Amino acid sequence: MHETTLYVLQQLINGLTIGSTYALIAIGYTMVYGIIGMINFAHGEVYMIGTYTAFITIIGLLTMGVGSLPIVLLLALITAVIIASTYGYAVERVAYRPLRGGPRLIPLITAIGMSIFLQNYIRLAQGSRDLAMPVLISGGIEFGDPAVFEVSISWMQLIIWGVTLVAMTALALFISRSRLGRACRACAQDLKMTNLLGIDTNRIIALTFIIGAALAAVAGVLLGLYYGTINPYIGFMAGLKAFTAAVLGGIGSIPGAMLGGLILGVTEALTAAFFPSEYKDVVAFSLLVLILLFRPTGLLGKPEVEKV
Amino acid sequence: MKPTIGLCCKTWLAAALLTSLGVQADTLRIGVAGPVTGPVAQYGDMQKIGAMMAIDRINAAGGVNGMTLEGVIYDDACDPKQAVAVANRIVNDDIRHVIGHLCSSSTEPASDIYEEEGVMMITAASTSPGITEKGYELIFRTIGLDSLQGSLAAAYIRDHVQPQRLAVIHDKQQYGEGLATTVRDLLAQAGTEAVMFEGVTPGDKDFSALIAKLKRNNVDFVYYGGYHPELGLILRQSREKGFDAAFMGPEGVVNSDLAAIAGDAMEGVLATAPKSFDQSPDNAALVDAFKARDEDPSGPFVFPAYTAIQVMTQAIEATGETDPYALASYLRSTRFETTIGEIGFDAKGDLTEPTFQVYRLHADGSKTALD
Amino acid sequence: MQRALFPALFAAGVTFLLTCLVIGVKLVQGGPTLTVVGADADTWSWIAFAVVIVFLVQLLKEPLLGLKQRLPMPDVTGLLPDEQLRNRLKPWLIALIVVGLFVWPFMVSRGAVDLATLTLIYVMLGLGLNIVVGFAGLLDLGYVAFYAVGAYTYALLSEYYGLSFWVCLPIAGLLAATFGCILGFPVLRLRGDYLAIVTLGFGEIIRILLNNWTNVTGGPNGIGGIDKPTLFGLEFNRRASEGAQTFHAFFGIQYDSSYKVIFLYLVAVLLVLLTIYIINRIQRMPIGRAWEALREDEIACRSLGLNPTVIKLSAFTLGASFAGFAGCFFAARQGFISPESFTFIESAIILAIVVLGGMGSQLGVILAAIAMTILPELAREFQEYRMLMFGGVMVLMMLWRPQGLLPMKRPHLELKAS
Repeated sequence: MHETTLYVLQQLINGLTIGSTYALIAIGYTMVYGIIGMINFAHGEVYMIGTYTAFITIIGLLTMGVGSLPIVLLLALITAVIIASTYGYAVERVAYRPLRGGPRLIPLITAIGMSIFLQNYIRLAQGSRDLAMPVLISGGIEFGDPAVFEVSISWMQLIIWGVTLVAMTALALFISRSRLGRACRACAQDLKMTNLLGIDTNRIIALTFIIGAALAAVAGVLLGLYYGTINPYIGFMAGLKAFTAAVLGGIGSIPGAMLGGLILGVTEALTAAFFPSEYKDVVAFSLLVLILLFRPTGLLGKPEVEKV
Repeated sequence: MKPTIGLCCKTWLAAALLTSLGVQADTLRIGVAGPVTGPVAQYGDMQKIGAMMAIDRINAAGGVNGMTLEGVIYDDACDPKQAVAVANRIVNDDIRHVIGHLCSSSTEPASDIYEEEGVMMITAASTSPGITEKGYELIFRTIGLDSLQGSLAAAYIRDHVQPQRLAVIHDKQQYGEGLATTVRDLLAQAGTEAVMFEGVTPGDKDFSALIAKLKRNNVDFVYYGGYHPELGLILRQSREKGFDAAFMGPEGVVNSDLAAIAGDAMEGVLATAPKSFDQSPDNAALVDAFKARDEDPSGPFVFPAYTAIQVMTQAIEATGETDPYALASYLRSTRFETTIGEIGFDAKGDLTEPTFQVYRLHADGSKTALD
Repeated sequence: MQRALFPALFAAGVTFLLTCLVIGVKLVQGGPTLTVVGADADTWSWIAFAVVIVFLVQLLKEPLLGLKQRLPMPDVTGLLPDEQLRNRLKPWLIALIVVGLFVWPFMVSRGAVDLATLTLIYVMLGLGLNIVVGFAGLLDLGYVAFYAVGAYTYALLSEYYGLSFWVCLPIAGLLAATFGCILGFPVLRLRGDYLAIVTLGFGEIIRILLNNWTNVTGGPNGIGGIDKPTLFGLEFNRRASEGAQTFHAFFGIQYDSSYKVIFLYLVAVLLVLLTIYIINRIQRMPIGRAWEALREDEIACRSLGLNPTVIKLSAFTLGASFAGFAGCFFAARQGFISPESFTFIESAIILAIVVLGGMGSQLGVILAAIAMTILPELAREFQEYRMLMFGGVMVLMMLWRPQGLLPMKRPHLELKAS
């Protein structure tokens, strides 16, 4: 194959990897927005807490002498999902539920406050240094001509794709098939009416926070393993990017969040491939502005009819 | 009319203050300004333990000219806006000797105020060349400049590495970009043009796109201007992607955490760093004193901060006064015996001798000095 | 009590989950290896304490609430003089405050004056954003971009062309307004939250561009040595620069470093008073009424023949111009600016000021700006817990008063019987 083709292929692979994790985090933004129309700024911090929990579990189990890697990872995943979901739930219960029905800007401010709070809470509890854990899963597949350009896909990248695919499919099935999923969709359509039909909307809203947090925790475990380092400040940028992805795809739409995440990841990788990489954030945000100009509700967002 | 009232009030306040402090008149308060909070608080801690250790040891030895020293900690969180507020507060608190600030971007606006208000400032950590370039009279530093470190790195690369395809990467911050530019320009003069020169975003985690690009350009040597978290990840991800060029970085990457992040990929990385003063046999007793207090003496700013206090008190002892202007002219005229060796200051307030050295870093976190 | 048992157990369980791993276990990096250590007994007893407290509070919620309701609430409204008297006293009160603003810096310490100056910058920013968010109801998360434009305008013009603060002040406002107009024109047809993210993105773009455009803006090095404002050409430095005269030499008084700080403060007071005056006037003009009408009901406005784009654009532009003034002044006060002063968190804090103050209410915004800048300073004692408390207080304040400190009062008429 031609050298440039191989190079672009490599960058696409890199972009899809980072994009799938954006998509996982973006689900949390989009689901919450779809139902109660608020931007949960503290979502990035929930992702960060998920990563910390995963680190603690993995290192703890390894120190205790649990040798089997799959078991360690599975347990880490479960713990991270449980703890992060609890945080997602608690944040909603404490900071957003009492404000429901008020002006829309108010929960936004509590969300920013919550985000600052959680970030500093973890910083105080775990320190502000970058923590790193050893490479647990190494190696991968390489193809292409070594003399021209060698494309590499690491096992970790494959795992990220696989887990993202499974998580997304599970979510799609849950939303479209299960009873609770149907209730979620009903809430997204008309919160008041759903309530009148005898569904406990508070519970459904709490559920969306829990699902969003759980997926963010999955992303946290994956990225924690992939990069191997954490600090209390990773939540902000990850949250910002994921939020951009959610808006890009059309906020409120779950397939939109997936698509938006992938597009954002690939755009960043391709920008870094052909321009100085310091401009990749500028390009990502400019792309967002452009798409919104031509499709004001995002790629897959439904145009909203304004009602009087 | 108004100013007169104000002046009256002030004189009265000052008089009241003086009488109340009369008992403690033989205390010399020294401000220690740096980040206590915020993302770089750990570096602020290095400066703090160094300065506090010096103050305690000097007090234990009977103080300076009969005065006891007292360290007053100020937190600027490495935020330029807060640094100005802190500087104003220090002036307000009538403190005339300051150790700090830490981040160059905080030191720069603060030093303006100190110079204007007649406060002596010695920074033990800010390495940006711009700080001393404005011809300040009262601003000094006990740490080498970025530019010195850059020229040392460039000379080493030119003489010992001689790379075929050089890439210079930096983190778009004052410290990193300044160094990277120096290295690139000096090497270009020596005939080695960098094939790549670009920035990364600090705090970023994903460098796979950058590494693929380095690989495509067949780069065999990378100079990285920045701090350890990003370089650690670049090394770690390079190893994973089978990119095996040699790397070199500045003192900002020399940190035990780099070994943790990069793992085996760290073996053999080159770095310029201040001489490890805690390894020097002359400082053995001092290192033990730090260890006895359960403090880590190996941070790059610990000994420069200690030295800053040392220099200040030696000058006070020799001149017999605490007036910053008198001290400043003494500092420029004399050489000092300190924990970082024998030092002197030039007209700009910088150290006259470089305190950096090239090291080879190892995966277990240790380092060996190269000539 | 029994009915509350299950929720109380649940809440206690949640509290335990929240704290057990994150606080109860600590990751420690010892050289190249990462290990976990359990926290000491002290920390665990704190966790247990927290769990028990949450359990008890949840269990006894109803009796506690009942108790609270039975507490007599003092009637504060009765203490205020009646409305007519209040209206008559109001101008006097305002005059008193204004005089106070000009007099008190001469009585207090230099640090306090400097802090007051910083507060006034935030007041100005808060008032400017209040036009966009409070009056026009447009959620702007990238307000800091205009602040940066203002600051860099002054810094660059003074660095390259040697222009003085007073010349640059209107230019900074105009340029920021132009940026607001250019950005506003395409994005204002977006609805609420899309507007939020686009403005956020714009804020980031400006910051990254300032950071990367090293040749002109100095990139991350920033721009230093920016001149302070002068009083009709009189400088406040110890020594005059070439061809200029110092304030103390001109009046033949002794040099005092606090004059400079006080002068900066007085300039800030003037700017803030001017801002308040202008906004107060505009608010009562047709355009001001149109902003609020648009916020309340866009469709009704359109039916009445108002052009929403022009109205939104005017709010956006005007808001941006005040950020430009504030930025210009910030650069002068700081003497050194770099892109790291213009991050997203700054936008968030300004927005918090507006919302905390009670959107649309000017007095509320001023109070909130004071609270937001003074609080972290007061909390300095708590050192590293400062930001934690800042976040916590932000949440609690909004829970306590969702409508803001002083919600906006709309002009209204009351028909009284008799």
